[in-house]
Amino acid sequence: MTTSDAAPPRAVALATGRSLGLLVCTRCRATVRAIGEKQSLCPRCEAQLFVRRPHSLSTTAALVITAAVLYIPANLLPVMSTHEILSDDDDTILSGVISLAHQGSWPIALLVFFASIVVPLLKLVALGDILFAIWRRRVRNPRQRSRLFRMVEFVGRWSMLDVFALSLLASLVQIQSLALVQVRPGAFAFAAVVVLTMLAAQSFDERLLWDAATHG
Amino acid sequence: MRCIRCRAELYRTNDRTPDTAIALAVSALALFILANVYPLVAMTVSGSTRMTTLIGAAEAFYEQGYGVLAVLVAFTALLVPAIQVLTLLYVLVPLRLGRVVRGQNLLFRLLTALRPWGLTEVFMLGAVVALVKLSAQAEVSPGVSLVAYGLLMISIAALTSATPSEQYWLWIKAQRHRAGPS
Repeated sequence: MTTSDAAPPRAVALATGRSLGLLVCTRCRATVRAIGEKQSLCPRCEAQLFVRRPHSLSTTAALVITAAVLYIPANLLPVMSTHEILSDDDDTILSGVISLAHQGSWPIALLVFFASIVVPLLKLVALGDILFAIWRRRVRNPRQRSRLFRMVEFVGRWSMLDVFALSLLASLVQIQSLALVQVRPGAFAFAAVVVLTMLAAQSFDERLLWDAATHG
Repeated sequence: MRCIRCRAELYRTNDRTPDTAIALAVSALALFILANVYPLVAMTVSGSTRMTTLIGAAEAFYEQGYGVLAVLVAFTALLVPAIQVLTLLYVLVPLRLGRVVRGQNLLFRLLTALRPWGLTEVFMLGAVVALVKLSAQAEVSPGVSLVAYGLLMISIAALTSATPSEQYWLWIKAQRHRAGPS
């Protein structure tokens, strides 16, 4: 085997927009030639243009940390209480899942378990991991991590499931004006976790992952 | 088109005309009205029946002192889909007739920004969860509104796939091209 048999060497370096002096508008995705000035507007949709979303890392980190703190009361505090003639019952997110399972609705119980407990936790862990890796400048497998990020972004919305279900329960289960299903503070913490993690995913500039990977 | 580095979708377009989007938006609007007018679900316990509507679900949070949650539910399940449908009609119908409305760029930007916050399909599933929870203790029946909302969900999904954000700009370009030379 001689070297002449080997395939010609492949070009490794990718031309990125940044290396060619191009910007992409994060709103409408137009490709724009970068001009010297720092702040300019997209010629197509007039959105603010930037090489990387300003303060992306710190904004996302702040949102993730807040959401992680709120994840604790969201799971420990009751999200609702039901009043019956003889007993008052407090329900947390988890006990709601368990009572669905006891009722025999396994598919629904599993669905709520994933949407309300697994997905928020997965989002926090995944975003935390990505942020930490970028912060340490040690992004080993950026392709996997960017796939993880997109998955998180995609499934995040489904966590609102329990909030919607609760709104319907609270409005249906009433006698005259007396509410038998009462909303409790855990619901607020839970909704906050969902909204904050959605905002965190939106404020994150995915390209930072690749910046850290190539420089690190 | 996919990114060769991270394999994310870069953009997507199709060869539909604004007519498809307009037709879908009109049907979504009709379904939206139906979904708001009729009761969503009814529950019967020991002879007495209670019904609720879409907006009633958000109201329940407000009445119990959780105004922020009420706003969140109303925004994601009702307001965002309504804004999406109305904005599209407001921009696309004139575009179809060869005119450009004021603030068109701002509105298209708004549509792209609002996209993640329209949660019709999640609300639909939330309603199913609530129905299953209640069915253990009461007789529940879905109302006209729930059916309309389900169809609304489908037409909004179709509308979203017919109008990937790159598509707006293609339509505008095509319109300018037609208007330009003549």
